[in-house]
Amino acid sequence: MRFFKSIMVLVQKDLALELRTKEMFNSMIIFVLLTLVIFNFAFGEVIETSDEFLGGILWVSFLFAAVLGLNRVFVHEKDEACLDGLMLVPMERSFIYFGKAIATFLFLSVVEIVALPIFSILFGVNLLLNPFLLLLVLLLSNIGIAAVGTLLSAISINTKARDLMLPILFFPVIVPILVGAVNSTRLILSASEFVADIYIWLRTMAIYDIIFLLIGFLTFEFIIEE
Amino acid sequence: MKNKIYQILTFCVALSIIVSIYMVFCYAPIEKNMGFVQKIFYFHLPVAIIPYLAFLVTLIFSLVYLVKRERKWDMVAHASAEIGLVIDTLVLITGPLWAKPVWGHWWVWEPRLTTSFIMWLLYVGYLMLRHSVPEENRRARFSAVYGIVAFVSVPISFMSIRWWRTVHPLVIKGASIELEPPMVLTMLVSLFSFVLFYYLLLSQRVRLENLKDEVEVIKDEVEKV
Repeated sequence: MRFFKSIMVLVQKDLALELRTKEMFNSMIIFVLLTLVIFNFAFGEVIETSDEFLGGILWVSFLFAAVLGLNRVFVHEKDEACLDGLMLVPMERSFIYFGKAIATFLFLSVVEIVALPIFSILFGVNLLLNPFLLLLVLLLSNIGIAAVGTLLSAISINTKARDLMLPILFFPVIVPILVGAVNSTRLILSASEFVADIYIWLRTMAIYDIIFLLIGFLTFEFIIEE
Repeated sequence: MKNKIYQILTFCVALSIIVSIYMVFCYAPIEKNMGFVQKIFYFHLPVAIIPYLAFLVTLIFSLVYLVKRERKWDMVAHASAEIGLVIDTLVLITGPLWAKPVWGHWWVWEPRLTTSFIMWLLYVGYLMLRHSVPEENRRARFSAVYGIVAFVSVPISFMSIRWWRTVHPLVIKGASIELEPPMVLTMLVSLFSFVLFYYLLLSQRVRLENLKDEVEVIKDEVEKV
């Protein structure tokens, strides 16, 4: 009970902070739109004739935007020494990890849900072919991105290179989620006979989420101690 | 005393590498389909196994470090990742050299090659992370955590040719090896030399770090005087 209460307070704090400034949300959503425009130029007419690329375009945009947001997760805590305050609170250090991961998960989900209709209009995609499966893909990928991203963001904020370090540490680790999300989104959007295939990808992502939530939970305290 | 052991070890490594080279070119028969180019197998396979071993050592010593918090364990984890990465680079070079004549392409995006490449990128990230954290304790803790995260790629890469259908050959299936006995023997001798070579490099790398520490201590003492 105390676990959920503490985490909810931490999440509320981050949400309140974001609602006042909206700096993370605004930059992430604009970044997604910019990436979509860039993909339009990079691939040109190929996109209009084939829907094979849609999953890739969507998830690469989301992932780049996620890195942008993840870079900011610990910026306030670090620069204004708020993390020291958080660490003085008598609670498990791993609560901070879950609080941050849940807040990150919520930010990502909001950005994606706002960006999806725009994506659908720009590329002429019907999102309502199987909306529940699509939401499940978003859910599983966002859990994975938030689980790994929060951990690595806490590492990279304390390095000399800071923002430069996160993508280098993050992208190779997140590959399985990217592969799973791209393939399942492609199957959903192309409305083919996919039911059997898609579960393999969903299962892979679910296993990935569990592994990295566990690693994050167990190792986070080693990163923020001192 | 210790120097004597290292000398003997170095001699053994040199000898076993010479024996492996002799066996590869003079003892192992020429493969029927691929011909002479298949000789690179005796180099490619042992070299490919070493990074798995090295990164496992990094994982183990990262965990030991997080529990014990002694600098020497972090040193071993670091040294092993460094050597693993260098040898993994050799895998990514010998692979395409073999693939070009046999498959017709330098590189194919199939599971084994892709996962090996990602594994390589992860450990490049590991070393870059180390360079980016100046404080010693913090560097050790961060890299230990990333050493654990990055290791997830190792079983995936190792199992990739067993889980997915791919063009990459699978030589060892369970207990059976699909090769002629002289080929197996050559491969094993070559593997043995590389494991020994890895151990030699690892011990020397750790020794070098220790010597560096000693120099720092002496420097401090000199400055005091």
